[in-house]
Amino acid sequence: MAENGEEKLLAVARHIAKTLGHNESMADDILQIFSTFDGRFSREKLSEDQQPSDDGSGGVAALERALNSLDSQISRFVASDQPIWSDPADSAAFLDAIDELVNLTREWSHASSEKPISACLSRADDMMQQAMFRIEEEFRSLMDHGAESFPVSHRFDESEEEDDVDDGEEDYDDSQIPVAQPLTDYDLIIDALSSATINDLHEITKRMLAAGFGKSCSHVYSGSRREFLEESMSRLGLQKLSIEDVHKMQWQELEDEIDRWIKAANVALRILFPSERRLCDRVFFGFSSAADLSFMEVCRGSTIQLLNFADAVAIGSRSPERLFKVLDVFETMRDLMVEFESVFSDQFCVVLRNEAVTIWKRLGEAVRGIFMELENLIRRDPAKAAVPGGGLHPITRYVMNYLRAACRSRQTLEQVFEESNGVPSKDSTLLTVQMSWIMELLESNLEVKSKVYKDPALSYVFLMNNGRYIVQKVRDGELGVLLGEDWIRKHNAKVKQYQMSYQRSSWNKMIGLLKLDNAAVGMNGLGKAMKEKLKEFNMQFDEVCKAHSTWVVFDEQMREELRTSLARLLLPAYGNFIARFQNLGDIGKNADRYIKYGVEDIEARVNDLFNGTSTARK
Amino acid sequence: MPATEFQGSFGRSLLTLRRDQTDSNHHHHQPQNTMEAELDSFQRQVAEKFIDLNASAGDNNLLSLDWISKLLDSFLCCQEEFRAIIFNHRSQISAPPMDRILSDYFERSIKALDVCNAIRDGIEQIRQWQKLSDIVISALDSHRPVGEGQLRRAKKALIDLAIGMLDEKDHSSTTSLAHRNRSFGRAKDNHSHHRSFGHFRSLSWSVSRSWSASKQLQALANNLNTPKPNDVAASNGLAVPVYTMTSVLLFVMWVLVAAIPCQDRGLQVNFSVPRHYQWAVPVMSLHDKIVEESKRRDRKNCCGLLKEIDRIEKSSKVMNELVDSIQFPLSEEKESEVKQRVVELVEVHEGLKKGLDPFERKVREVFHRIVRSRTESLDSLC
Repeated sequence: MAENGEEKLLAVARHIAKTLGHNESMADDILQIFSTFDGRFSREKLSEDQQPSDDGSGGVAALERALNSLDSQISRFVASDQPIWSDPADSAAFLDAIDELVNLTREWSHASSEKPISACLSRADDMMQQAMFRIEEEFRSLMDHGAESFPVSHRFDESEEEDDVDDGEEDYDDSQIPVAQPLTDYDLIIDALSSATINDLHEITKRMLAAGFGKSCSHVYSGSRREFLEESMSRLGLQKLSIEDVHKMQWQELEDEIDRWIKAANVALRILFPSERRLCDRVFFGFSSAADLSFMEVCRGSTIQLLNFADAVAIGSRSPERLFKVLDVFETMRDLMVEFESVFSDQFCVVLRNEAVTIWKRLGEAVRGIFMELENLIRRDPAKAAVPGGGLHPITRYVMNYLRAACRSRQTLEQVFEESNGVPSKDSTLLTVQMSWIMELLESNLEVKSKVYKDPALSYVFLMNNGRYIVQKVRDGELGVLLGEDWIRKHNAKVKQYQMSYQRSSWNKMIGLLKLDNAAVGMNGLGKAMKEKLKEFNMQFDEVCKAHSTWVVFDEQMREELRTSLARLLLPAYGNFIARFQNLGDIGKNADRYIKYGVEDIEARVNDLFNGTSTARK
Repeated sequence: MPATEFQGSFGRSLLTLRRDQTDSNHHHHQPQNTMEAELDSFQRQVAEKFIDLNASAGDNNLLSLDWISKLLDSFLCCQEEFRAIIFNHRSQISAPPMDRILSDYFERSIKALDVCNAIRDGIEQIRQWQKLSDIVISALDSHRPVGEGQLRRAKKALIDLAIGMLDEKDHSSTTSLAHRNRSFGRAKDNHSHHRSFGHFRSLSWSVSRSWSASKQLQALANNLNTPKPNDVAASNGLAVPVYTMTSVLLFVMWVLVAAIPCQDRGLQVNFSVPRHYQWAVPVMSLHDKIVEESKRRDRKNCCGLLKEIDRIEKSSKVMNELVDSIQFPLSEEKESEVKQRVVELVEVHEGLKKGLDPFERKVREVFHRIVRSRTESLDSLC
């Protein structure tokens, strides 16, 4: 019934137009007015009574009429000074006109061989070009002006709208970013396009792609978003630096730049790029290839900028002081690799993905290179000035503290070393091999250094001290876990051996003097021999004590051990000797003249050993 | 003893190699004549490569993507051989004068890395032009006779292309102003569509805005002197391959800068090699040919000497003139002329499209190999 009513209405409308319209174009205008008045009076419906006649001329006429109408509409829009999209009714009408044009063209393209039709189609094409020109401008305008800027304090454990809340983001602020500031400090200004704008853009995109203007569309889109992205990156303080720039930077400056980079990389890969991806997908919804291409165009430059910096760090100096920062960059790349793979998952981004992996691996190489440089440093450390008193050498302290600090990043280091081409043995990781090797080098170097001392006893003290320090620094910590119990045991034994060697070299002869020799000839002979021996002993003892009390044994426990061990050897032997001496008849009567020290005195002087001078005491 | 770690083809365990070296504690003094033979062979190989390149430089092939790719291949070969030489004589490289000489080479190679990166950006620039020529083609290359709208579209793209291909010196006054006057936040009304088709500096991601290709080349060439006789003697002749490799590196970078658009492109570099080096003649011959090309009237102010750029420029210029000359309605003569020009443009466009990606990959490979060579050798310099 309603249909009938509508039919009647349309018929009336047509009749009015025909009667009132004195010529065809007037009738046309009247129909036009009707069509804008009410949706039911669409041009198509009003011209429905036109049947394509056999020779097609009626059809062409219809086509021409339709084109005329569209022409006037489109021309009106194209000529307009105001942005069409400032008025939703206008924009809708414009899009409708374009859609109609597309439909018409499609409908009639089969007949394009006929001259009149072909002329119409050319005209239609022309109109389409004009419309596209205009719509491209509108698109650009919407891209640039449709954004609202608002500041956002972004916390990394906030999930992003409806999609990807991965557990990684939850743990994120616990362990992984090595920045000093709290994460809530990432103040970003997000230039978000409103939903309405995105919708508008999508509508335009559909038409542009349908009309073969996809490339231009993508281009305008990418240009606009790329600018925004570049601005965001520069707001994060990231400079564009060449590899040489980075190479020449002062370390302090580079450290700061690395911190900025870590922040920028995180913001880019966790916030900016994913949000650009979402935007792309929405604007180019239904056209995945265009979306992929546009996204790549938007993000490529910033990605290259980020990767280039990481590359420059990897290519740079191998100075050991850089280890921790280079590890930071390595870890950032590692942690962001998942993000990288997911954001750049499409066909156009393979190159970027591969670059990222290459650079990440290069960072690992850099870390290994730094350890090699450390090895060189140790090997090259000259054995010039001896440490006074045989104490701790600065290189021992430096290396051991360095390794302890390095081993706090043990897991990362394991990863780094597994990547090298080394051949692991079945019971130790490559990191262990590296650490063991450094220890070997250090010990070799110390051995060479120990030979600088003229007194071999002092060499042993030196080796003792440094060896002890090494074991202590190894023992409680990751380094100990790496090197293993066996290693610790072996080295403790080594230190013990040095102690024995020290004892032997300085004290054996002395103690030998105190041996009671029963083969002496007669009482007088014995007494004389003992007198000589005692004299000799006193001299040596004095000498040794004088010298050795300025020597250092920094470790309290070891110091006590040494003293106790010496005392145990010395005191009973001395006691016996003195007692014997005093009982030697008339010599014995004057024994006190030769006995310089009582047993307590000996003990006291032994306990004074290894106190070091105030300067040597370290 | 210097320790070495060579990954990849030499594949030795990092630590076993170093241990062997330290434990054995002897110098690898190869008998003098095999080393001489090795160094001579290197000179010969370099010479052969460049003679070859010279031979294939005729017939409009010089500075084409194809030819430059060949040049890069030659570079990679020479690089590999150089790397092997250094490896074979690594026991000597940590002692003077080789430590200083090699260290100098690796400093220069860093500059080359930045050139490679800038070239990569330049290739991207060329891709932008490709997009424009693509638009021209799609506007004009249809089954229907050319309409006014399509012509307008083609014209717009051709203008953009012409502007985009202007040497940056002429370009900078217009667009960089637009860049600099950006208010914090949005660039609103200075939007010319020039912006979206990119200017060199806005497309340069790997180097700062003040980076200069010509300065970089000059620095690369700075103090590049033939090795002093004392140095040659003291290094057992190793100073010569280093000089050779440095010269080759400089030349290759110079060619890249000559061919591909980049920031502050300038070709004034003091580059001369004494004739007694086997490779001097072919290298200098190529150098001279390229300088000559750069001075040609029609190429004097171009943004890159790449043959394909020249072709696109010429083709699009012809097209532009043709488009300007068109009056509607289109005569059949005009129409067929348009079709013909389109076919030419398509040919140029396709050639570029096919060749650009592999070329970029090659440049990238050069970059990675330079890094690798540097890393390996530095790690063995004690």
